[in-house]
Amino acid sequence: MHIMKSIKLSILGIVAGCLSNIAMADVVVIVSAKNKVAALRVQEVSDIFLGKTSNIAGNVEVIPIDHLEGESTRDEFYLKTTGKAPSQLKAYWSKRIFTGKGQPPKEVLDTIALKKMIADNTKLIGYIDKNAVDPSVKVVLTLQ
Amino acid sequence: MSYQFRSIMLGALTLCMTIGARADAFDQSVFSFNGFGTLGLTHSSEPLADFTSTFFKPNGAGYTRKWSSDVDSRIGGQVTANFNKQLSAVLQVIVEQRFDNTYTPAVEWANIKYEFTPDLSVRFGRILLPIFQISDYRKVSYAYAWVRPPNEVYTMVPFANNDGIDVTYRFHVGDVINTTQGIYSRFHYSLPKSIGGGSTSAENVSSLFNTTEYGHASVRLAYINSKFTTTFPGLTLFDAFRQFGPEGIAIANKYDPFNKLMIYTGIGATYDPGKWFVTGELSQTNAHSFIGKKQAWYISSGFRFDKFTPYFIYAKAKAKSETSDPGLTLSALPPELVGTAAAMNGALNSTALLKSIPVQNTISLGARWDVMKDVSLKVQYDYTTLRNGSFGTLINLQPGFQPDSKVKVVSAVLDFVF
Repeated sequence: MHIMKSIKLSILGIVAGCLSNIAMADVVVIVSAKNKVAALRVQEVSDIFLGKTSNIAGNVEVIPIDHLEGESTRDEFYLKTTGKAPSQLKAYWSKRIFTGKGQPPKEVLDTIALKKMIADNTKLIGYIDKNAVDPSVKVVLTLQ
Repeated sequence: MSYQFRSIMLGALTLCMTIGARADAFDQSVFSFNGFGTLGLTHSSEPLADFTSTFFKPNGAGYTRKWSSDVDSRIGGQVTANFNKQLSAVLQVIVEQRFDNTYTPAVEWANIKYEFTPDLSVRFGRILLPIFQISDYRKVSYAYAWVRPPNEVYTMVPFANNDGIDVTYRFHVGDVINTTQGIYSRFHYSLPKSIGGGSTSAENVSSLFNTTEYGHASVRLAYINSKFTTTFPGLTLFDAFRQFGPEGIAIANKYDPFNKLMIYTGIGATYDPGKWFVTGELSQTNAHSFIGKKQAWYISSGFRFDKFTPYFIYAKAKAKSETSDPGLTLSALPPELVGTAAAMNGALNSTALLKSIPVQNTISLGARWDVMKDVSLKVQYDYTTLRNGSFGTLINLQPGFQPDSKVKVVSAVLDFVF
């Protein structure tokens, strides 16, 4: 009885561990290391990536850049900041595009290219897997 | 039927893939191309009237066809030109069943936008008035959960696109975002032959819309003021009334929709944290004519279980002005005119005029399934109760139609964006 219980628990633990490895990799929001912005809140990041604001921390202009559709980092980022699954995000941008209110952020091919663009341009803001962070960029929000 | 539907579907999908592939070439250029479409089939239980989605359509499901693909089907394409950071232009063309029962392409949006700052912009050209919460994208069915927005509210103002100027100003207070939009415009639409043709138009439409967003919540206020004129052959009745002295002239002036003030006010609110949503709207319009004073509202909620979004809508429309009028006082008339006057009184109180104010409520149950990337499939069942002798939002009434009946409508739509 006792043994069964502990086996069950440990299986549960392994499964949970695997799941969290797959699904719970931390995503971080980054700006250039040269950017003076220190930290952002989830709501601010959500508004920036949904095109609802283009200024942060008073009056600093920001331009969001995105990963390609279908990337797991992207799906996780939007779910954690905006609460939207990929199809909801697509629905959101459909209503913006077809009412002339704007276009979604430009997409960049991969994390290396995205990081380089952000490092070189203090106006840009993006997000990457926490493991890909290096000194050229600054983390302004960690999404767990 | 199902084979035909499938081949139409395949044809449309092939078309969007071809266009989609072309769009990639535009990516870094001034121009970008986007499109959307819906393939729909609707069935109505009422054989003596048509169910459809707007008064600008000449027929629909029920009487004209048992199963109609005209109610919701459409395809739209949009070219956006971003000339520089400030200046952009949009051209959107839609193909759908029009007032004349053809599928002639029509320009839905065509405007030039200048952004003084990202928070202050001016647009000039053809614009869709955001009368209700989703008016300006109601044709992009992929963008919302329902098969179509509730007819009770969304057919209450006979406006579609307008030509004019639009100023939008957005400001932030903490995490609250407020967007104010003022539009000065005019419109002219042709009416379907099913009501005898004619047109509805307004020269000076002033509108003010204000949206306040905070996180997943938003509240919207709308106000429209216009002097509008509607003409169709049935309205010559009012010329006849004018021949009957002061009483007739008073009746004509009260109900003839000629250069009449139409005031519309609305409030809407939505909360959508992602896993579920709740949304509602309350609208009132006073058209100072036979079109009447109307009030309508709806509430809707849905839950998102991965790719499935079941939802319900409850909607209600009621008349706030009289849907009947005693008309000319027959006893005061010379005997030879009584017959004519009685017929005119009858016409005034007919389904073409005063009885055309919808009094109905609908319970809708439906579900959206996000089949694959950029494609969704929805089914919806509407149960409508007509009240007060009204035929509700139905069109094309046939002899023998029973007022105060129940109408059951089943719809399926396949939506896509590309």
